[in-house]
Amino acid sequence: MEVIKQLIGRLHPLIVHLPIGFITLGLLVQWYARKRQQYAPVVPLIFLWGGFSAVLACITGYLQYLGEGYSFETVKWHLWLGIATALFSFIMFAKLSKTSTIRFLHKVPTALLSVLFFVLISFTGHEGGNITHGDDYLVEPLPNSVKSALGFETFEEKEIVLNDTNWEDALIYEDVIKPILNNKCVSCHNPKKTKGALLLHTPEDIQEGGENGAVILQGNAEKSELFSRMTLPMDDDDHMPPEGKTQPTKEEIKLVGAWIDAGHPFNGTIKTTGLPKELFAAFFPRKVENDYPDMEITEASQDSILTIEKAGIHVDLISKESNFLSVSAINKPTFGDDDFEILLPLKTQIARLDLGGTQVTDIIFEKLGQLPNLTILKLDHTSITGRQIKSLTILEHLKSINLTHTDFEGDYLSDLSDFQSLEKIYLFQSKVAAKEIQTLTNEAIQIDYGNYELPPLASDSIVY
Amino acid sequence: MKDNLERLIREKQVREAQAQTRRHFIKSCAQGMGGLALSSIFMGCDPKPSTNTKSTMAFSERDLNPLATLSPPFSPKVKSVIYLHMAGAPSQLEMFDYKPQLHKYHGQDCPQSLLEGKKFAFIKGTPKLMGPQAEFKQEGESGNWVSNFLPHFKSVIDEVAFLKAVHTDQFNHGPAQLFMHTGSARLGRPSIGAWATYGLGSENQNLPGFVVLTSGGNTPDAGKSVWGSGFLPSVYQGVQCRSEGDPVLYIEDPDGITRNLKKSTIDAINQINKEEYAKYADPEILARINQYEMAYRMQIAVPEVMNINNEPENIKQMYGVEPGKESFANNCLLARKLVEDGVRFVQLFDWGWDTHGNIREGSIDLGLRNKCREIDRPIAALILDLKQRGLLEDTLIVWGGEFGRTPMQENRGNKEMAYKGRDHHGDAFTMWMAGGGIKKGAAHGKTDDIGFSGIEGRVSVHDVHATILHLLGFDHEQFTYAFQGRNFRLTDVEGEVIKEILS
Repeated sequence: MEVIKQLIGRLHPLIVHLPIGFITLGLLVQWYARKRQQYAPVVPLIFLWGGFSAVLACITGYLQYLGEGYSFETVKWHLWLGIATALFSFIMFAKLSKTSTIRFLHKVPTALLSVLFFVLISFTGHEGGNITHGDDYLVEPLPNSVKSALGFETFEEKEIVLNDTNWEDALIYEDVIKPILNNKCVSCHNPKKTKGALLLHTPEDIQEGGENGAVILQGNAEKSELFSRMTLPMDDDDHMPPEGKTQPTKEEIKLVGAWIDAGHPFNGTIKTTGLPKELFAAFFPRKVENDYPDMEITEASQDSILTIEKAGIHVDLISKESNFLSVSAINKPTFGDDDFEILLPLKTQIARLDLGGTQVTDIIFEKLGQLPNLTILKLDHTSITGRQIKSLTILEHLKSINLTHTDFEGDYLSDLSDFQSLEKIYLFQSKVAAKEIQTLTNEAIQIDYGNYELPPLASDSIVY
Repeated sequence: MKDNLERLIREKQVREAQAQTRRHFIKSCAQGMGGLALSSIFMGCDPKPSTNTKSTMAFSERDLNPLATLSPPFSPKVKSVIYLHMAGAPSQLEMFDYKPQLHKYHGQDCPQSLLEGKKFAFIKGTPKLMGPQAEFKQEGESGNWVSNFLPHFKSVIDEVAFLKAVHTDQFNHGPAQLFMHTGSARLGRPSIGAWATYGLGSENQNLPGFVVLTSGGNTPDAGKSVWGSGFLPSVYQGVQCRSEGDPVLYIEDPDGITRNLKKSTIDAINQINKEEYAKYADPEILARINQYEMAYRMQIAVPEVMNINNEPENIKQMYGVEPGKESFANNCLLARKLVEDGVRFVQLFDWGWDTHGNIREGSIDLGLRNKCREIDRPIAALILDLKQRGLLEDTLIVWGGEFGRTPMQENRGNKEMAYKGRDHHGDAFTMWMAGGGIKKGAAHGKTDDIGFSGIEGRVSVHDVHATILHLLGFDHEQFTYAFQGRNFRLTDVEGEVIKEILS
């Protein structure tokens, strides 16, 4: 008997959807029938079915409450509201059916009842959902700022901030381990939602462990579940965090393991733990050096790209991460100053331009000034002298210019001093004389003059 | 008894013959035909390269022109790779991994604890430890170690990042070379260069995307599979060019065939192919048309780029080239020229590094020194030359062998050898990288006092591959090719990017 009771109880989550469906349908048809009276007679019938199915849901719900060991405190609201819904459904039936004899109901406006009914069923359903999925199920995916604005408790998602100089002084638990656990574990292992009876938000609770006992074995990461569960294969049921949740990175897992191996200290700095720098290097900020400006731009039109490619010029996205383009005339040595116009539809997207080995002359500089995001420019093996190179001063992102094997003259080198972001110029086999390099006074610019030599050594000719 | 058996066999034959009637035959024919038809209907299910964005049609521009350039998923640090492989495995203990303690133990028996459970190619019984046969010095601002076997290397030492504790699980040349270049010690996987050209294409339409150059008198033990395309389309395999004679075999027109005649031949073949395409619409036919045209263009472009005679004298001297011969120096200069012309992947193999001590050429103190001299100047020149042309920031140079060599002197057959030598050793060896995205002057990893095993910063061959792909703009875990029902990666199921040597 007990078994049957429990089994029927477990059908509750299935059966509740019947009254929800009927009542929603009833409300919708009722609304629809305002102007199409021919549908009105069916509404009371739908509410009648809604009422009967709601009674059925109440019975199964009560059995589930008994069978699954929920406390009355937890289910209280859902239980009473469920019963209220069933009653309300019958009331709606009574109010709307033509044969109804209950007088006082006719005095209440139908619209008001309908709105109330809608609120009631929504709220009942929501309370039921909270019982199975937890209070914060619905708000969990929201960003922390919205959550706290709504009055939900949040666990600080602190980023690990380390850098090359201060990493040894950072606190091992507070600055490193705690943020990892907070970001990746605590959303399920906190006082409100304590999966596996495990709490991971304070040192005491971490040491306490969960329903299977301690999660850390002193000094042995491999045998500590806190670590080993993260290293299990994704499809293992014991893998933590469970599939679908944000996973810790390889570096984070490694760090937690090393921390446990070092005796999981909660106090002291990284230095006192003696853990090697390589464990933390992944958390140091990485200066992103790309061949394009650090900004978002619109996508280039496919038609313009295809037109240019048809002319024998390569056009490729530098990477699929951005819309900036790399353009190269490597297969079109006949490319001349006049051909430049064809590139103009892509002028905002071009960040890398290789015109090496083409027919371009000094006229090209003025035209290049129209490419606001140009970052890398290659003009090697051309006959440019640099007379107009001043026109490129307006290019605020230009980082590198290759002028090797050109007729570039030393006289124009000083023009480059005003370039805003220029970092590198290649002058190998240009017309610039070695002593003229000093005319470029901007110290941010590195000049590679080339002409490297490997002087002969006596050992070059010794055969052993 | 025997009669019974024969009767039984005869009965079986008769029954079988009866079972296979004409009706059965026609029935199974029909099924077979149906199957054939079905397979052609479902041809559209053939998985297309996932990296393709230019078109998502049934056959794309990529099918027609398999080397068309593609964008990598992430911002690349380099556009080209030059991989310098010292086939035979150079001794890290005489070149980059300085072990002063090993001097002290010179001549002593190797501790048993190190030998237990280890496999060696030739070492038998208890070998003796052998101290470094070279003198070491810290060079450059980085203060990294290099031996007197490589006197020119100091001029570029601050450009490279060392990996001091690479390890491999192979201890024989063939499998180890396959592992180093394809990520698997067994045959059948694509090489790194094939993956790179498959994923990125190649910029110069007149040159192959993946060129292989060999020197040292022999090709690698693992054969051409180390630059093969495995299960990738064969167009992505390395094209071996020779620095002596015709750069590509059979590329010259035969006697009596003029370039014009060749052109009209190809035009005629392509015309027929186009008609075939109009009939069957098989994209393979278009690919073939394209290949004929590319081969025709290569006839002019390849001999041009492979000719080092037109280089200025000072450049030739810097590399130490010997025009007309097959040499590592020539190949280094060619590598620069190829990268300059937009070739995606250049693979150099230099043979002759297997220094067991059995012959003079294969000795640690004599033969190895000659090999070091042959590569020292060319490598330094290659790095400097790329740098002065502004190409080093777009190119990755990788140097290494297939494994390292033992801290013990080899005692083949448990006897003293004619010369000083070291056996194969995969536990710890040195590789280095230089170029775009590489942290200049870095040294990652450390070996124990005698250089037997890595004790810090151990990296695997898969890690090296992951790093190369990372620099080219790929996530090695996402860069896959579907074959025989599963997605394959260069790094199989392993590999981590070695962030410590990235800038």
